[in-house]
Amino acid sequence: MSHSTESSNLTAEQFDPAVGKKLSSISFAVSALGLLISAFGLFASREQFAFSWLFGFMLIFTLCVGALFWTILHHATDSEWGILVRRQMENVASIIPALSVFFLPLLLLCAPILWKWWEKSPGADPLLDAKAAYLNHTFFTIRYVLFFVGLGGVATVLARRSIAQDKDGAPEHTYVMRNAAIIGLPVLGVCLTFAAVDWLMGLDYNWFSTMWGVYIFAGTAGSSMALLVLIVTGLRNAGYLKAVNVEHYHVMGKFMLAFTVFWAYIGYSQYMLIWYANIPEETIYFKIRNTESWHYLSTFLVVGRFFIPFPFLLFQSTKKKPKVLCGVAAWMIGMQILDLYVIVLPSLHQTGISPSVFDIASIAAVGGAAAGLYFRRLSASCLFPKRDPRLAGSVNLHN
Amino acid sequence: MSQSRKVYGLGAEFESAASLMSAAEKIRDAGFSHWDVHTPFPIHGMDKAMGLGKSNLSAVVFVGGLLGFLTGISLVTIPSFFIYPMIVHGKPYTWATLPAFFPIIFELTVLFSAFTAVGTMFAMNQLPRLHHPVFNWDRFTRFTDDGFLMVIEARDSKFSESRTKALLEEIGAKNVTLIHD
Repeated sequence: MSHSTESSNLTAEQFDPAVGKKLSSISFAVSALGLLISAFGLFASREQFAFSWLFGFMLIFTLCVGALFWTILHHATDSEWGILVRRQMENVASIIPALSVFFLPLLLLCAPILWKWWEKSPGADPLLDAKAAYLNHTFFTIRYVLFFVGLGGVATVLARRSIAQDKDGAPEHTYVMRNAAIIGLPVLGVCLTFAAVDWLMGLDYNWFSTMWGVYIFAGTAGSSMALLVLIVTGLRNAGYLKAVNVEHYHVMGKFMLAFTVFWAYIGYSQYMLIWYANIPEETIYFKIRNTESWHYLSTFLVVGRFFIPFPFLLFQSTKKKPKVLCGVAAWMIGMQILDLYVIVLPSLHQTGISPSVFDIASIAAVGGAAAGLYFRRLSASCLFPKRDPRLAGSVNLHN
Repeated sequence: MSQSRKVYGLGAEFESAASLMSAAEKIRDAGFSHWDVHTPFPIHGMDKAMGLGKSNLSAVVFVGGLLGFLTGISLVTIPSFFIYPMIVHGKPYTWATLPAFFPIIFELTVLFSAFTAVGTMFAMNQLPRLHHPVFNWDRFTRFTDDGFLMVIEARDSKFSESRTKALLEEIGAKNVTLIHD
């Protein structure tokens, strides 16, 4: 295309390190407070702590893995539109290796509480015995390591190469990143699917849904794109990334629309197949969540995650208004929180909603640490890949 | 070709996509409305350079989709809820069992949207048609190879054989040719 040869005339932008340090310290302070409260919960009410922590951990984990998905997709499809905003996706995805630490309290201290198969002896339940080859302590731990090695490895390679290209501007990095992304695509698919199976579906070892992995992925990708919109807008309001214009917002809005519809499609298909077939060990999942006071949250999730954002995202005019799009993006992240809440907590409180301070504390603990790491990375490199050979194409984007 | 036939418009050739783009901007600013460009590949930003707005197709498709949605709802609810209410699979008829019919409603929405999109596209482009006056221009076929062409129609109120030809040559057109019906 004609604009590949044009120059971008962009000067490198660096996030103010003093502000970055301050934001990072605030985030770590929030994390410390969350950790303190959670640590109290660990001793005072271990059951509640276990489920709350899984909920908080999964929220941050899915947001970070979603950012990795968009980075991978960007390279694998050789996209041009998002080069300006790619660095922020890389920064979020780079948090993944650190998240492995936050899973350890669950693995080491709470596994028998969360995953009931953990302490069942062979022969106690024939249904479990049939799954013993998969559901056993050794393989579970190996998988935990593999997930973080796989996801973290791809994220690290992509982020490092991208920053290396900032220094030398060599086009070879683009090829390496493309190849890494093509390998990373199945790695991400397998890791996210089996992480969802191990950590969330495993909350009831008798229950299964073949659409579970893709259901979690649909929410993950949509809410991560929403997070990117918020991050980019935040940076723009702080006076950075002025090259990002309505055309970029339009593209990001289109992806948000796509994944709003995709989530509804997958969520509905999963529900309908289970509801219509009416097999007790499958319907138990929806029985718990569609009765008692959980019913209100489940219904609100369907309305709030699809019917409310859909009309906003459907029209071009709203996608081109950053303020409206930011509102929808914040809403989508709220819905991701609700989605995971309705997935995790009913396993503990089967008789109805029972909010706990540890739910918020766990989000603060994991989310604060993730945000702190993000702000550190934010000021450590240019805000966009300044020497990407095709940066000009992203700056002069036309839909 | 007989000179007594009605004039369809003026055809002009440009050297590159960039020169065609800047020419389009000038023709747009000159206030022409019945004209088009023909290129071997889509040129990003050309719709803006030509001053084309957003197509109305999406609005028509929205109405088509809505119609499909309502058709779907009526088609499943009227017989199953009102005319022949039968309990199947132990599922009663309340709004809560509507999900059983979602696939039908969804598919009809998609079907109606797709048909409306294709049909409206044909109508908007006045298709199908067997011949078009631009094919009377012997250089026109180059647009599938290396030609960057512009055609201004005679029905445009600003059209004048001599002045439009002069304008086209002034903005860098080559081989400006009169095209007959």
